[in-house]
Amino acid sequence: MRRLGLSFLVVVFAAAAGAPFLAPHASDAKFSELLYAPPTLPHVVDDAGAWHAPFIYPWRLADRLEQRFEQDRSTRVPLVWLRGGRLTQSSDDVRAPFLLVGADGSGRDVFARLLFGARTSLGLALVAALGATLLGGLVGGAAGYIGGIVDEALMRATDFVLVLPAIYVVLALRSVLPLVLSSGIVFVMLAAIFAVVGAPFVARGVRAIVRSERQLEYAVAARSLGAGHARLLVRHLLPAASGYVVVQLTVLVPAFIVAEATLSYVGLGFQDPIASWGAMLQEASNTRALTDFRWLLSPAAAIFLVVLGLNLVLQQSGVNPVTISSDEPLGRLRPDSHSF
Amino acid sequence: MLAYLLRRFVFAVLLVFTVSSAALILVRLAPGDYADTAAAPGTSREVKDQMRARLGLKRSVAEQYGTWVADAVRLDFGRSMMYGSPVKGLVREGAINTAILAATALVAATLIGLPLGIISGSRRGPLADTIRTVSIVLLSLPPLLSSLVLLAVAAGTGWLPVGDMRSAGGAAWPLLDLLRHLIVPATALALPIAAMFERMQSQAMAEVVGQPYVLAAFARGIPRARIVWRDALKPALRPAAAVYGLVVGALLSGSFAVEAVTSWPGLGVLMLDALRARDLYLVAGCAAAGSVFLAIGTIVSDIALVLVDPRAVEAG
Amino acid sequence: MIAAVVAAAVGCSRPASSTSAPGSRQGGEIVVTNRSNPTTFNRISSDGNRADDLIALLTQAKLVRINRVTWELEPWLAESWTRSDDGLHYTVKLRPNITFSDGQPFTSDDVAFSLAAVYDDKTASPMKQGLEVSGKPLQVATLDPLTFVITFPSPFAVGLRILDSLPILPRHKLGAALTAGTFASVWGLDTPLTEIVGLGPFVLNEFVRGQRAVYTRNPHYWRKDASGAALPYLDRITIQVVPDQDAELLRLEAGQSDMTSSEMRPSDYAPLKRDVAANRIKLLDLGDGYDMDTFWINLSPGAFAGDPRASWIQKDELRHAISMAVNRELFVNTVYFGAGVPVFGPIAPANKKWYSPEVPHTPYDPARAKQLLASIGLVDRNGDGILEDAHNHPARFTLVTQKGRTDRERAVAVISDELKKIGLVVDVVPLDFGKMMEMVMGTGKYESVYFGPGATDIDPAVNQDFWLSSGGAHFWNPGQPKPATDWERRVDELMARQVASFDENERKRLFTEVQKIFAEHEPAVYFAAPRVFLATSSRVSGYTPSLIPPQLLWSADTIAVAR
Repeated sequence: MRRLGLSFLVVVFAAAAGAPFLAPHASDAKFSELLYAPPTLPHVVDDAGAWHAPFIYPWRLADRLEQRFEQDRSTRVPLVWLRGGRLTQSSDDVRAPFLLVGADGSGRDVFARLLFGARTSLGLALVAALGATLLGGLVGGAAGYIGGIVDEALMRATDFVLVLPAIYVVLALRSVLPLVLSSGIVFVMLAAIFAVVGAPFVARGVRAIVRSERQLEYAVAARSLGAGHARLLVRHLLPAASGYVVVQLTVLVPAFIVAEATLSYVGLGFQDPIASWGAMLQEASNTRALTDFRWLLSPAAAIFLVVLGLNLVLQQSGVNPVTISSDEPLGRLRPDSHSF
Repeated sequence: MLAYLLRRFVFAVLLVFTVSSAALILVRLAPGDYADTAAAPGTSREVKDQMRARLGLKRSVAEQYGTWVADAVRLDFGRSMMYGSPVKGLVREGAINTAILAATALVAATLIGLPLGIISGSRRGPLADTIRTVSIVLLSLPPLLSSLVLLAVAAGTGWLPVGDMRSAGGAAWPLLDLLRHLIVPATALALPIAAMFERMQSQAMAEVVGQPYVLAAFARGIPRARIVWRDALKPALRPAAAVYGLVVGALLSGSFAVEAVTSWPGLGVLMLDALRARDLYLVAGCAAAGSVFLAIGTIVSDIALVLVDPRAVEAG
Repeated sequence: MIAAVVAAAVGCSRPASSTSAPGSRQGGEIVVTNRSNPTTFNRISSDGNRADDLIALLTQAKLVRINRVTWELEPWLAESWTRSDDGLHYTVKLRPNITFSDGQPFTSDDVAFSLAAVYDDKTASPMKQGLEVSGKPLQVATLDPLTFVITFPSPFAVGLRILDSLPILPRHKLGAALTAGTFASVWGLDTPLTEIVGLGPFVLNEFVRGQRAVYTRNPHYWRKDASGAALPYLDRITIQVVPDQDAELLRLEAGQSDMTSSEMRPSDYAPLKRDVAANRIKLLDLGDGYDMDTFWINLSPGAFAGDPRASWIQKDELRHAISMAVNRELFVNTVYFGAGVPVFGPIAPANKKWYSPEVPHTPYDPARAKQLLASIGLVDRNGDGILEDAHNHPARFTLVTQKGRTDRERAVAVISDELKKIGLVVDVVPLDFGKMMEMVMGTGKYESVYFGPGATDIDPAVNQDFWLSSGGAHFWNPGQPKPATDWERRVDELMARQVASFDENERKRLFTEVQKIFAEHEPAVYFAAPRVFLATSSRVSGYTPSLIPPQLLWSADTIAVAR
């Protein structure tokens, strides 16, 4: 199971990393005669039963107004490999492009947008998760180490944020910023907001670990030998929390992916023409698309794969894929870390 | 016991107050205000300023907040600028709609998740493994995705309405109409929560079943079913009870996405529109309603915990 | 606003008004969806958005009505009129025995009152400019309760036609407010509905802000059909607020609404066709329309002060180059899925009365576009594919458009792609409608915009606020105290002659001249006019579809439903 999960993750991350190579087209390349074109699946056997190198059948526009296409099965368009820095492309890319998952309403290759969207969504989620762990680690470490009133204050603050449904906090913070921003600024803003909202999860656990570790023998020994606070914290105590932190990272990433998708879906995330899974899902969610253009829902499958992969990896390592906020009586469970 | 509940109640009131205040001040400090977002085309600066004066947007933040608090204590939450009607009514309608959705999802999730968790936690074998795998899969289906997929199924088959809460223009049997509209969003919302219940209950069950007194009962020859459902159950329900109220947070989060996708007229989309339009009082009202839900959830959770495990009172 | 004409001879592919046996049409109700919320019940103080306009169409009546299919002027509350020889005075006779919806009699005093309300300074009515000629108001003199004289300050060819926009409001209800100077705030949305009195076919019965308005038949309505039966046919119209075009389509398909208040999108065509096959929907194809979206750059003289691009961004050559660089066929295919025609100016070919083939079309010629840009100093100096001016500032500007309208969003995507090919970079900024209007019509702080101001009449004399440099709808540089450019001055002169001439051919000739000057300087660039599709439920009949929204409700009193 764990291997299956790992393999999903590897596939998705490799796809994101290798997007410029794997994608047959740029994410904003438009084919004006192929708006809402269905997927062109590769074949190796033609209708007569003969074998060929992989090829596709081109789509011909049957009715432009109705956006109806017919497959021209009399023409075989072979695929070419490793040309122009791309893994594969159609040999007649202008008139019969290789659209593995079809085209969207602007004639763009959905598969390419999936790959580049993976970069956006995964990139943002990773950066935000790192930010959250950093911020949460610092806050939790400080609280656990200093103790006393600082600890009380910090923990009350994190408790307050923890109780709130995360998506509403994110929504409120995002909405009060100007509604239309350039994509670079959107990335930074979203990463910052997610990091702030995700930090309390990390802070709680790190604080508990640091607090308990602080009283252990080796720490007391180090102090008596004259180790400074900072050195103790950084060299000894925080690394003890590293296992917890890594787990938290794995839990936060899917939550942030879904959060970005939700925000982009309601129009507060990345805008056109940036490829983002959430924005692609928005295009897919009108009735027409849900009945006639089902391939536009492919980002849902992509998100599902990533989240499932992470969950499979997590559950094998004995951690319930539900954040456990330690040190509370009877192990209070925080279910909404997954429910963005 | 009473003192304990009283303390929780005070905490809840504080929570509601803090959250709604924070929301109000946040939106008030944000760039742009309602007059900017909603003025009719071509409105001159003077007319918009008149609008601002009328809506009370020209006062200082402190003054505005003070007035709001004074009114809120008397349960007057002001008027929505967008809709022109009192915030109380709008928020109540949105909250009821979200509550219907969330309650249905919660009941469904409990009825599905808990029994399956008990079964999978109290035995080994292919059945338990299947349940566990299905749970992991469902846990990975955020409500955003499952509602889209279910909506696609509804649109494709035509069996179920595609979005909205009721059929516009009325229906012959309103309750049945509501139930039909409820199926897609409630299912989408319930699935991951059911899976979470199953996983938690399964773990808790497995722990309890491994306890010496249970093994002893087995050894004495007491029938398996009786052990599971009578002796092991109550302590195993502890974690579920502990989290039951807190699931409200998950329900609220999940319901936002579901409401957005299926156009369910609940609190989430109301707050989104209010935030966009900088409709101050409506935002504060929605935030208050949301935190009321959370507070209720926490109290319910505490009561459930006390019922299942009286030791919690001292520890709490 | 924009003026265009539809020929009276409609082709057989266009649906004619449906007819059925009289008497069997009485009764029934329909549900209509509309995307916006009303802002007031007082049409005179409203800026004329769709929702307010609908209220006025249903509850109020006017002196004369422009038939939106034939574009002829029809007597309405006014029964007949005569024009004096000097063309300045119109003596108008009103229909007798008409009462308001509360039973009070309608007289010429109400006409005088309504006009006075429009011209009142304190009211500051947005309708004022449209009811003035050469900047001066019309004079009204009542002779007796059924007769009055309207005097124009100068000869005005179309005469009473401009009165189509004026709803006749009840003096007995609102006269006091006008005298007190509070007319602007009267009849706001909180007004008790019994106060909203009018001469229209319906009365407002129920109003829930943000959700719906319910209209019931006005038993005092004056109009009767050809056989003498009382109008309106319908007992009730419910207008639901549905903010989303997708949701509107869903309701229509599900049978929960009978029509929308505007046209369908080309992307809705396929599912609608399926519904037609299932006999649930009637789909009307009205052919190419004349309601077009347009692109313009802010040409106000101070708009780019201090901006390094000021030396080229307001030049004619830039706009010509933009017009030449966009392949209009591609535009029609991408934005409207082929259902539309390329257009090159504000008068679309569908406006057969005023369109002139003499007006030159900008050709599709990207190479020449690049040359034009080079002639104003925009050349790719560093080989990065983007043009720069003499100081190396890139040729880049922002384009504002309306968020949420998929056809406009697709259109700006096409424009921006085509312009990138000749080295111009356009940064598209989609904004909410309110924010966009505030920027464009309010503060005037924008660089360029792509938007579709709606048309109301096809005759240019009624759209002077667009053509005259002093007009409020002269978008690229509205409300000029005196013409900023020589060509705008010439257009002002030609239009002044055009509206004063009583010779149809002379008017046409002058207006063609105006169009030629417009094409020479292209202050606004037009790309395509979409085909107009309307959809109604199969039970609706008695509609007279027009090309301009609200395509069906403009003549709501003859709509009927199958019983």
